[in-house]
Amino acid sequence: MKEPDRKNIFTPGSIFSDRLLENWSIFKENLLGKIGLTLLIIFAFMAVASFFTPLIDPMYNPMTGVDPNISYSTGPSFHHWLGTDFIGRDILSQLLAGARIAFMVGISAAFMSIVLGTFIGMVAGYAGKSTDALLMRLADMIMVMPTLLVVLILSSLFGQLNIWIIVLLIALFRWPGVSRVIRSQTLSLKQRPFIEAAKVAGASPLRIIFRHILPNVLPLSLLYMTFRVTSAIIIEAALSFLGFGDPGTVSWGMMLQWVWKTGNMFQAPYWLIPPGICISLLTLAFYMLGRAMEEVIDPRLRKEVEGE
Amino acid sequence: MGIRKFIFKRLIEILVIFFIILTVLFVLLRLSPGDPVSRIVDPTMTPEDAQRLIEQLGLNQPIWIQYGYYLKNFFLGNLGISFHYGQPVTSIIWSRLFNTIILFTTAVILSALAGVFLGKIASWHKGERTDTWLTLSALVCHTLFLPWVALIFIWVFAYKIGGFPLTGMISAEIWADPSSGFWLKLLDVAHHMILPLLTLFLIHFGSYLLIMRSSMLDTLREDYILTARAKGLTEKIIRNRHAAPNAALPVITSVGLSLAFSISGGALTETVFSWPGIGRELVFSVSNNDYPLAQACFLLIAIVVLLSNLVVDVLYMYLDPRIRY
Repeated sequence: MKEPDRKNIFTPGSIFSDRLLENWSIFKENLLGKIGLTLLIIFAFMAVASFFTPLIDPMYNPMTGVDPNISYSTGPSFHHWLGTDFIGRDILSQLLAGARIAFMVGISAAFMSIVLGTFIGMVAGYAGKSTDALLMRLADMIMVMPTLLVVLILSSLFGQLNIWIIVLLIALFRWPGVSRVIRSQTLSLKQRPFIEAAKVAGASPLRIIFRHILPNVLPLSLLYMTFRVTSAIIIEAALSFLGFGDPGTVSWGMMLQWVWKTGNMFQAPYWLIPPGICISLLTLAFYMLGRAMEEVIDPRLRKEVEGE
Repeated sequence: MGIRKFIFKRLIEILVIFFIILTVLFVLLRLSPGDPVSRIVDPTMTPEDAQRLIEQLGLNQPIWIQYGYYLKNFFLGNLGISFHYGQPVTSIIWSRLFNTIILFTTAVILSALAGVFLGKIASWHKGERTDTWLTLSALVCHTLFLPWVALIFIWVFAYKIGGFPLTGMISAEIWADPSSGFWLKLLDVAHHMILPLLTLFLIHFGSYLLIMRSSMLDTLREDYILTARAKGLTEKIIRNRHAAPNAALPVITSVGLSLAFSISGGALTETVFSWPGIGRELVFSVSNNDYPLAQACFLLIAIVVLLSNLVVDVLYMYLDPRIRY
């Protein structure tokens, strides 16, 4: 892999928040970033609104609230703007609750995989030798495993998985891509004089990793986090769609599974279309945000991110 | 290092990785709640049959001997008997693998070709409207939720408009009819394949387009492009003969890197369209608590992914002689 020149971007010693402010002004000019951010804000409002719908009327509870007058799927009406599902639950309130689940799953899984990936990448890059070889082999091995199918085989062994177990599994299988990039970044940082200086001053390896290397790789980790959010949301949605999601949550994938499995899909476009649009748009929003951030941080990083 | 030595080294690596996967699955099965025997031996079998299978699989032995039996049975191809089909799983999965490969390779090749072609155009018109629209549509297609696209296609093309089969791979009446020839059968499979193919194509071509575009932009900055211009070659020749073949290389890498991702997408597509492939079989067997079949499907997919990665690497070395691992 070619080692991109990032000399002018990662100036040692520059303060993270200063750089953030400066980058914000570049980011503002980016069309993709603006679209992505706008979409994200809309979805965030949906997620917040999901807390209030059950308070209006208990029948708007996404999981347990059933309209007493309706026992099958009906189209949009005054009380149910997007109609109801096969047992008379309100689709709009399910859609709002789905936004909450998607954010929760996406951000927590991405955060965990980034923490893991950044740490492993820094350790592998800094320690070098056999530690590096071992960790990177492990990364290669996990990287070729299709995460969705791994979670499937695990749920065949352990039964229905809890949503947090799913999040944890996604995180455990999505760190290698991050750790490779962080590793190569660490390798080039390691050669810089300020690391040498820290070493001479007697700093321990852990201190060097956390105090001197971490601040320099952090922007890159954050960038990767947006891409990981995308893949985490997609994996959870796909899992729920196949019927292996957490039965205690209402996610968009689950809604699609219901409309598909209850045989309503040809009769109920009001039920089939919204969840899919929401999943696609939310992942698109994070993806656009990532691409915009990428152009801010380093336009030449693009190749390493595709295909994840 | 020569290509042959490289392949040999990688095959050893693949074997090691595979061995680790096997071991992890064995450990997980023993860690899982409940009786492992009941997961491997069909509860509806007659006691004598069950006993014979238990002995064949060594399930009545101590755990480390069980592990030995497990490895031995795996390499002999005894992966147990599917609960659902009542047949040895190995005989089931081979035909499924073939169906998956037909659908999957066609989709990947077509979308890579389209991605390379459109990416070339986008980079050539960088900053113009063509570029903006191509890039934007690639981004949107790339993040579409695959199972949903599949459902929408079925709803629109098979139900509303009609003319496409709802699901499946073959029409029973054509295949049961002895008078229908080879070409008719082939046409029938192709007809069933169009919608799943379109789904996979739509999801994949976007990422290939984006990679091709950025790689092409990098290539256009190279010295040899400047040389070609200085020689007075036409823009078309520079684009198609000098820049594009080199720029297409990263697309091949990305096919390899995204393989694990694409395989999951393939499983979803197969499930929605009831395409009798290995991915659908895995989903199906997990829903039915058919562990022997699920395990076999998973292992087969793992082998395919590992070997395809090797194929991609070798292909890359062949296409770009500068690359040596």
